[in-house]
Amino acid sequence: MSGPGSGGAYSFSLTTFSPSGKLVQIEHALAAVSGGTTSLGIKATNGIVLATEKKSPSLLIDPSALEKVAPICPNIGFVYSGMGPDFRILVAKARKIAQAYWKVYGEYPPTKVLVQEVAGVMQKATQSGGVRPYGISLLIAGWDSHRNQSLWQIDPSGSYWAWKASAIGKNMVNAKTFLEKRYNDELSLEDAIHTALLTLKEGFEGQMTEQTIEIGVITVPTPEQMEEKSGERLPPTFRKLSENEVRDYLSL
Amino acid sequence: MENNGGSVVAMIGKDCVAIASDLRLGNQAVGIASNFDKVFPVNDKLYYGLPGLATDVYTLKEHLRFRVNMYRMKEEREITPKTFTHLVSSTLYEKRFGPFFIEPVVAGLPTPTELDPHPKPFISTMDTIGCVTTPKDFAVAGTAADKLYGVAEGLWEPDLEPEDLFETVSQTLLNAVDRDALSGWGAVVHIITHDKVITRTLRARMD
Amino acid sequence: MALYHNQPMAHAQEPTAAPIEHRFNPYSDNGGSILAIAGTDFSVIAGDTRQSEGYNIQTRYARKVWQLTDKAVLATNGFAADGNNFVKRVKQRLEWYEHAHHKPMGLKSIARMIQTMLYGKRFFPYYVYNILGGIEEDGSGAVYSFDPVGSYEREACRAAGAAQSLIQPFLDNQIYFKNQQPEPGSQPFIPGNLPLATVLSLVVDSFTSATERHIEVGDGMEIYIVMARDRTTDDLLGEGKLQKGMEIEELGTLGEGQGERTFLVRQALKRD
Repeated sequence: MSGPGSGGAYSFSLTTFSPSGKLVQIEHALAAVSGGTTSLGIKATNGIVLATEKKSPSLLIDPSALEKVAPICPNIGFVYSGMGPDFRILVAKARKIAQAYWKVYGEYPPTKVLVQEVAGVMQKATQSGGVRPYGISLLIAGWDSHRNQSLWQIDPSGSYWAWKASAIGKNMVNAKTFLEKRYNDELSLEDAIHTALLTLKEGFEGQMTEQTIEIGVITVPTPEQMEEKSGERLPPTFRKLSENEVRDYLSL
Repeated sequence: MENNGGSVVAMIGKDCVAIASDLRLGNQAVGIASNFDKVFPVNDKLYYGLPGLATDVYTLKEHLRFRVNMYRMKEEREITPKTFTHLVSSTLYEKRFGPFFIEPVVAGLPTPTELDPHPKPFISTMDTIGCVTTPKDFAVAGTAADKLYGVAEGLWEPDLEPEDLFETVSQTLLNAVDRDALSGWGAVVHIITHDKVITRTLRARMD
Repeated sequence: MALYHNQPMAHAQEPTAAPIEHRFNPYSDNGGSILAIAGTDFSVIAGDTRQSEGYNIQTRYARKVWQLTDKAVLATNGFAADGNNFVKRVKQRLEWYEHAHHKPMGLKSIARMIQTMLYGKRFFPYYVYNILGGIEEDGSGAVYSFDPVGSYEREACRAAGAAQSLIQPFLDNQIYFKNQQPEPGSQPFIPGNLPLATVLSLVVDSFTSATERHIEVGDGMEIYIVMARDRTTDDLLGEGKLQKGMEIEELGTLGEGQGERTFLVRQALKRD
């Protein structure tokens, strides 16, 4: 009708619903997510693991400069599937949101609050003029004293919900089926990391090495760790595993 | 401060905190009202006092009510004394170059959590632009602050039970405001414990 | 030349509207605090020993409390130079009195004389708050307090100086029993008849509190205790009656002595 090979008159104007009630651009954004590399998250009894496949388009690229798992604040981390540049914009916004919260309340935001704020940012891109939706889905792992560890997903539409374990990206259907079989409520963080690697291995293209995957973990802190000592910062509950740590997990 | 007068004191006890204020509202040396509350609840574990310019007492109180209600809905939990202190502090600093003429005092019992099953009673105080101090014994503010410091320093001791804390905070407040021309005209005391808040209005000199 | 009809920079030579004044200020505030409490047959007069000007400590030991006679002790606070000079003149007047009358001046006469001396300088005052303590003719403990121009009154207790606002309400509560009621059926409180031990610990508490919260108070403390004749000293000199760190000495009689005894207790205060 209008654009070549597209969804017709409703495919470009974001603020217009199609007669069937769909915002087609959002569906396109989801398609971009499904085309992205697989990422997954598993909640354990004493933590959370985020893992993702890191694919270089060329052998000549230095993979250590690619970053798909991002710490937002000491208690929250992101991973994504979809468009890398969009991710970096959202990471920057999320970090700003976390620091703004810290300035007001003297502590970092609880996971759900940050998720809601970021979801708000993503929703706005579906209702404003002159912009397109973010071409990514996010998996967000966080810990806070109110809800303990929690794992969230945000889609390009701005919808968000919590998972025990889930996957996004190219291989998400298979991965989710795999996780459904492997998941149980007594999983420890160590088990969860191994399960994450096994899940990633299903349908992994090429060699799985410390350079082709990235892992981030939430570790539930002990009461002693949370004790405030003057002049000292609280230890972060979210951290990325180093290449050495990833290699060790892979070799097990 | 010297426009309307008024003073607030908070003290830490054993598994309890107290916060008390006078009830005077004045216009310089002229007494206007003897029912001017300066201490307000956030919830049943957290109270705060706002001695200072009366118009700012109302404005800041309403502003904080708004911020706390938004917090409660967004976060689906009650604000802790420490977080509330930061909230008040950042609210005050927002007006760094045109401040509220208020020196807030916060007193509360943090609710026990899994990580911190026995949290310590909490008090804090700020200057007009939100610089926080969190004493381990008592906090004072208002036109009788120096007097309150003197009496509190003499009367306060660690680990007072609720009723003893009530006596200590009451005597501290009454005797301090009796030596302050801009404070007095009645007093109200709140003792916050884990199972209830005891609020008492005190008989005081009315001159 | 027309261009410079109005001289440029003319205002630079213009005289200012008012002359620049350089006025000498003969006063300064040397900080510190004093207090006195009367008992039935004793009087306690105390002061700290720090002397400061602004944020500078001039000395950690400067006297503010002075023995005048066998039954009178004077504490001065405010402008130290005036205080010292005033005490000197009071002592001189007391000596003249003794030459003229062959007896030391009584406490209430000293009080009245101090008023006269202070008011005599009504228009160039001694910048000093005085507290006079001692034993009255009838043997009772007494405290007189003065303002810088001589207004005075006899009281059961008084605090003055930098930490007056901290100490006085505490004394109101503990000495005058303000805002306190006796248990139903028990004796009513009477200000001014507390035992010596209680009074001493209140004095120490007052000064340690003031030291804690006021920068101008600290270093050391001198407590003068004047006892009426024939009064026991067991509650002061007895074993374990003094608090830790206290040193006591008895000050000998100045004149012939009529049985009153004056003791000086020193204790260290925080120096920060």
